[in-house]
Amino acid sequence: MLTTATIVQSLASGLLMGLLYGLIAVGLALIFGLMDVVNFAHGEFLMAAMYAALGCSVFLALDPLIAAPLVAAALFAFGALVYLGIVRFAVRAKTNAGMVQIFATFGLAIVMRGLAQWLFTPDYRSIPSSWIGNRTVSIAGIFLPLPQLVGAVVAIAAFAGLYLVIRRTDFGRALEATREDAGAVALVGIDRNRVFAYGWGLGAALVGLAGAIMATFFYIYPDVGASFALIAYVTVALGGFGSVFGAFAGGIIVGLVEATTAMILPPALKSVGIYAVYLGVVFFRPRGLFGSI
Amino acid sequence: MRVSRRTVLIGSTASLVATTLRAQQASEVVIGVIYPLSGASAQIGVDAQHAFNTAADIINTVHDLDLPLAKSAGLPGLGGAKVRLIFADHQADPQKGRAEAERLITQEKVAAIVGTYQSAVAVTVSETCERYEIPYLSADNSSPSLNRRGLKFYFRAAAHDEMFSAAMFDFFDALKKKGQKIETLALFHEDTIFGTDSSNAQLKLAGDRGYKVVANIKYRANSPSLTAEVQQLKAADADVLMPSSYTTDGILLVKTMGELGYLPKAMVAQDAGFAEKALYDAVGDKITGVISRGSFSLDLAAKRPSVGKVNDLYKARSGKDLNDYSSRQFMALIVLADAIDRAKSAEGEKIRASLVATDLPGERTIMPWKRVKFDETGQNNDADPVLLQWTGGKFVTIYPAQAAIAEAIWPMNKT
Repeated sequence: MLTTATIVQSLASGLLMGLLYGLIAVGLALIFGLMDVVNFAHGEFLMAAMYAALGCSVFLALDPLIAAPLVAAALFAFGALVYLGIVRFAVRAKTNAGMVQIFATFGLAIVMRGLAQWLFTPDYRSIPSSWIGNRTVSIAGIFLPLPQLVGAVVAIAAFAGLYLVIRRTDFGRALEATREDAGAVALVGIDRNRVFAYGWGLGAALVGLAGAIMATFFYIYPDVGASFALIAYVTVALGGFGSVFGAFAGGIIVGLVEATTAMILPPALKSVGIYAVYLGVVFFRPRGLFGSI
Repeated sequence: MRVSRRTVLIGSTASLVATTLRAQQASEVVIGVIYPLSGASAQIGVDAQHAFNTAADIINTVHDLDLPLAKSAGLPGLGGAKVRLIFADHQADPQKGRAEAERLITQEKVAAIVGTYQSAVAVTVSETCERYEIPYLSADNSSPSLNRRGLKFYFRAAAHDEMFSAAMFDFFDALKKKGQKIETLALFHEDTIFGTDSSNAQLKLAGDRGYKVVANIKYRANSPSLTAEVQQLKAADADVLMPSSYTTDGILLVKTMGELGYLPKAMVAQDAGFAEKALYDAVGDKITGVISRGSFSLDLAAKRPSVGKVNDLYKARSGKDLNDYSSRQFMALIVLADAIDRAKSAEGEKIRASLVATDLPGERTIMPWKRVKFDETGQNNDADPVLLQWTGGKFVTIYPAQAAIAEAIWPMNKT
């Protein structure tokens, strides 16, 4: 039965989850927008970030909230390395460039998963206690879990920061310019490889932030990225490939649609709503809601 | 009658041959053991080898245990013959299982076969055994359909999945008699074969026994979020929440319940995730008093002293405690050897007749069972599962009466 309380609760939960989905997806959108490469290892980046947060908690006794900037920094370095070590060569392919890029990042995903299984075993882990874990804020019968609440705040802050970086800094202008025409920027003295490496680093750092927050309330195991990566792809496609603001809006839409569907249909079918909206967007606006391509 | 030297010679030779034949027959009985020894479930097979070797050791040498064949060396019914095990690897593949069973029977001349962990492999192995009229003892296959195929040589001493669910409802009935209010149930199950089969069995049992299912929630396994599902559970607020979930979803369920401020009156889980250490490491403190089903529990040692001693012997080999699987594997070989001993023969048909006549009291097993007695389909219907309650950081057996060492804490949030 639908009471006002359950509807408000569903929408609130959906909004919080949606902001987190957006934060997970934005790195994917950024990288795609920058150089037209879909990172199929995006879910594994998330997994690595969650293990990094777990490591900080277990070995350094750092709360995931404190560790979040460290995890983001580590992922920044990792993302940049992935570009310099793998993707840089993959995009140089003369024939079948699209396939080579897909296989390069897909292969990376499999390697990362295998490594995680080998190093950390397939056991399920979680961070037993943290400042925000296991706490809930209750407002007039509406329960808002603190980890998701903090996640939503971090997501909004990250998007605001990203907006400023892209619009107000030289790096952001270089990013935009490289995106517009990667060949022409070389003529004005912008090192394309450097911009791409920073772009990959930034994308990875954002998913690192999401991973550190998620580690406070989600279980951690080598395949954890898979289900979130799927949602991230839908989010990006929905919001518009390459659009950072689109990923933000897409995440919120996915979260709200998921919550609304679960109110009407049996919960096992809650993804149906997301894919139905996605299908509608593909039919009527193939470039995505805010896509500019 | 004149007895010639030749007659005497022939006679004595004949009797000598007969004695040697009997001696050869008596020296050992070969039993085939088919398990996954390589591949993804290899660990199960390796643990099983230790369990079977422990059982063979107890049968073949003298032990002071209240188990069949423990106090004698070898099988007295066959002149002290020793049990020899031959292990075969089916790699979790039904076709490899069929081929290995065939090889064990025709080349290694095994008297019987035990196996196999995976129910799908048990299907082909037991069909092969049926064709050669060799008994197959299912140690740890839990699919309910296995004994319903009309096979004459199929036997299972342990419980199948439907009996596990039935035990939960027996437990509810018993609690109701004591004056507890249990009227409504909420089923929460994942969408693969384990969860759907489990919820179907529970739905049917609830209908038969007059419990009202107020929520039957199927969810997608490994969902990123279970918020909507938990909201519905909370709204239904049933007397008992019955999850059938693997570890990941189990952890997320408990965490989400905590976040949405929902603590059920009681939780009775279908094994799987709720028998996993990882789940209790992550969220055990939030669900003190949760009940899960199992085939075995170590605290049975308080009621059945041989459990502790067998566990020590097993641990010396494997470095692990007996669990749901190794306990059933151990017991299967004892039951089989006991039947061969009473048959006084290693012939398939005679062992079968002896298995049919088996009536072993539960006290002489290491299991929580009432007894071992096979029905016409080869199923032991007295193989009671146990219900275990998570209190004080460990599991305590609370049901059935013959195995319980503590009263159930009900409802769970009384703790």
